[in-house]
Amino acid sequence: MRVLLFGTCLVDTFFPEAGEATVRLLRRFGAEPVFPKGQTCCGQPAFNAGYEAQARAAAEHFLREFDGDDPIVTPSGSCAAMVKHHYPRLFRDDPKLLAKAKRAGERIHELTQFLVHVAKAHEAGLRGKGTVTYHASCHLTRSLGVREEPLTLLSSLKGAAFLPMPDAARCCGFGGTFMAKLPEISCALADEKAASIEATGADTVTGCDSGCLMNIADAMRRRGTKIRVVHIAQLLAEGL
Amino acid sequence: MSPEQTSLAFRANSVCALEDSALRAAMKQATDTFGTKRADAFAPVADLEALRDRASAIRDDVLANLPMYVDRFVASATRAGAVVHRAEDAATAREIVRTILADRGARRIVKGKSMVSEEVDLNSHLEAAGMEVVETDLGEYIIQMEGETPSHIIVPAIHKNRRQVGRLFADRLGVPYSDDPQALTKIARKALREKFLSADAGISGANFAATDTGSLVLVTNEGNGRMVTTVPPLHVAILSVEKMLPSLADLPAFLRLLPRSATGQTITSYVSVITGPRKPGDATGAKELHIVLLDNGRTEILAGESRDILKCIRCGACMNVCPVYRTVGGHAYGWTYPGPMGIILTTLLTGMKKSHPLVDASTLCGACVDVCPVRVPLVDLILGLRKRKVREGFADPRERRGMEAFGKAAAKPALFALGQRLAGAFWPLVRALGGKDVAGRMPSPAKTPLRRRLP
Amino acid sequence: MSDAEMERIFLENAATAAAGTHSVSDTGDLLAALGRVVAIDSPVFCPGMTELEKAAAALFPVRAADYAAAAVTVEEVFGAVAETGTIVCSSEGGRAVQAGLLPAHHVAIVRRERIFGTLDDLFAAIAFAPPTNVTLVTGPSRTADIELTLAIGVHGPEKLDIILV
Ligand code: SF4
Repeated sequence: MRVLLFGTCLVDTFFPEAGEATVRLLRRFGAEPVFPKGQTCCGQPAFNAGYEAQARAAAEHFLREFDGDDPIVTPSGSCAAMVKHHYPRLFRDDPKLLAKAKRAGERIHELTQFLVHVAKAHEAGLRGKGTVTYHASCHLTRSLGVREEPLTLLSSLKGAAFLPMPDAARCCGFGGTFMAKLPEISCALADEKAASIEATGADTVTGCDSGCLMNIADAMRRRGTKIRVVHIAQLLAEGL
Repeated sequence: MSPEQTSLAFRANSVCALEDSALRAAMKQATDTFGTKRADAFAPVADLEALRDRASAIRDDVLANLPMYVDRFVASATRAGAVVHRAEDAATAREIVRTILADRGARRIVKGKSMVSEEVDLNSHLEAAGMEVVETDLGEYIIQMEGETPSHIIVPAIHKNRRQVGRLFADRLGVPYSDDPQALTKIARKALREKFLSADAGISGANFAATDTGSLVLVTNEGNGRMVTTVPPLHVAILSVEKMLPSLADLPAFLRLLPRSATGQTITSYVSVITGPRKPGDATGAKELHIVLLDNGRTEILAGESRDILKCIRCGACMNVCPVYRTVGGHAYGWTYPGPMGIILTTLLTGMKKSHPLVDASTLCGACVDVCPVRVPLVDLILGLRKRKVREGFADPRERRGMEAFGKAAAKPALFALGQRLAGAFWPLVRALGGKDVAGRMPSPAKTPLRRRLP
Repeated sequence: MSDAEMERIFLENAATAAAGTHSVSDTGDLLAALGRVVAIDSPVFCPGMTELEKAAAALFPVRAADYAAAAVTVEEVFGAVAETGTIVCSSEGGRAVQAGLLPAHHVAIVRRERIFGTLDDLFAAIAFAPPTNVTLVTGPSRTADIELTLAIGVHGPEKLDIILV
């Protein structure tokens, strides 16, 4: 099955390893990932900051790049939610683009959704090691409604122990431009999140959004904690 | 006290709050407790989503027909013997209340909890007219004594711990120090009982107004609301126009949602339904009941894209779960209403010019939307206000230039790739300058981005 | 919901809300129950307006003329709501709703047949022509304004006893 891979600007620019791991996972489960070379960003930074024209420009570009009927897979809950829930609003007064936006919303899968519902990766006996806890990022959990899939995958790892985190779905303080506009609050929230992670005793924390993971990793660095912060795509790909 | 609005200084306010360890501990403890209690209270409710849908639909209907419902309420309440006053803005509302009180020679006023009275800054106006105004809700009593404003719409003194309250009471009331909440409550009961019995008038808010019967509904726990509305001979109620419910028969849905959302109770200790003043043959009720209906910009909000905020029933659940509110407390927001609903209401009621930093005081995490009992789309409303902030020119010019460049690059892959490479080249410098700011907290761009690693 | 079921739910919910609950079958039992919950020499306010109140009033030697001066109010109330364990006080018939508010101890007598199953049932019954004041009372007066720690008896009664007759 051909799938279009939306890397997201953050993974593309800062965390390409998470993108490469996504490709390995998709291939392992019989999908043929194609990376549309003209892709840029879903438009969230502009959308969330109130720049609708710029968000629309990015979204229109996305719809062009990802046109067609193939499923779209992305290693980000936040960007998937953007396409699914906000694109239709951006194009509410443009019937043609609105139809495309809705179609894209149906076609897009956050990586763990695809791995569980389409690829059945949790039945493949992937290997893991050590102790792992999981941060349930906000848009993934509340906007996209993906709650169980990452847990299903993580608890299926042979050789790894999954340790649940208290208040796993509490915001880590990333919030896109929030991190830049109110850095003091952002850091305080990241600290609170880091403390929850540390309290689990896990040696690794994972999640489905690299923005949040980046913010959490920064808090770990500030606190001098040695817990590994890694995108779920990489964690799963290591067990292939 | 008459508080100056400090919403423009949100960031500075929040930095102060972050350094106040007593405040942070109190906020964390209180909001954690609220979270657990709320969840426990809703656990046994079958069909919660249907209940929320119903309440939400009732509020939608109220907003869709608000002028009609307000007229109907005015007619019903008048028929029940109340005198209804309409106040266009805060100054008018203050003056109406002052005149009612002054005309009857009222000097000693007891007051129940009312966020609308905070919104119009009623107390200082009445005090300036020589009246003694005593807040009788325990939390309000504490902050009035301290010269503060509420930092939560349900629990006004949420930011204070028991030792601070104990010291305050010892200082001001000359009682022996205690940090036992039950003992402190007894002290307040005694001091306030005398006030109730000698008061000339009571001022209250209202949680709901039933348009078919003209009734006011007060949802309270302490009993001070009942005192204020039944013991003094004159009762003045002040509420904003959107508090309407079409019928008293609609109330049960809201009685099931409001206390559970607010304090995690199945129902509050008291729910009073007041329909007009004391009538011949009655032994209950104030002899005179005046109802002040405040608009203060709500008609304008109703006509705009943010109208759904008027569905709010002031339960406070959105602030209890808000990561920002939980961390910095209510005073940082710099006006009457804090938290997610406060961001929206403050911006709309006081204007973008006085409050625009607030619209950025959200991570858009959506925890508020999850808990709002009447389905106020808080995140969408905040996003709408961010657009307005940009449109009205209150955005930071650097941000605007950055976003304009982003818009261009996002639509042109070559430009985007170039941007990526430049970022890589300049990152060490950006990081060095960025400090705690964003670049300092991000890793450097990868040497080879994903787009050049894949076939 | 059967009457017995409604009664059970009411008593359970009222007890959860920290009210004292008592269930009696006739006037004789009522007086015995009152003797147990009210200290006989405390100043009691009892309106003496209904049959049950008249019987109750005779029990107390020390009567307060006014509820403001009483330590206890003993009264028959309008009804109750099973769903929430609530008693309903009404100003109908010239009753002082605040009589149950000022004294430290409120004893409410409820006739079994006056229990409404749900809040909807109650409001359906009163919404057409509500009296001046209807107050739903669930447990004693409370606050959590200091550190969200529950404290009982802020402005209203510290103790609520409900006697179902
Ligand atoms: S917006 Fe919703 S959650 Fe927030 S106070 Fe209003 S009703 Fe409660």
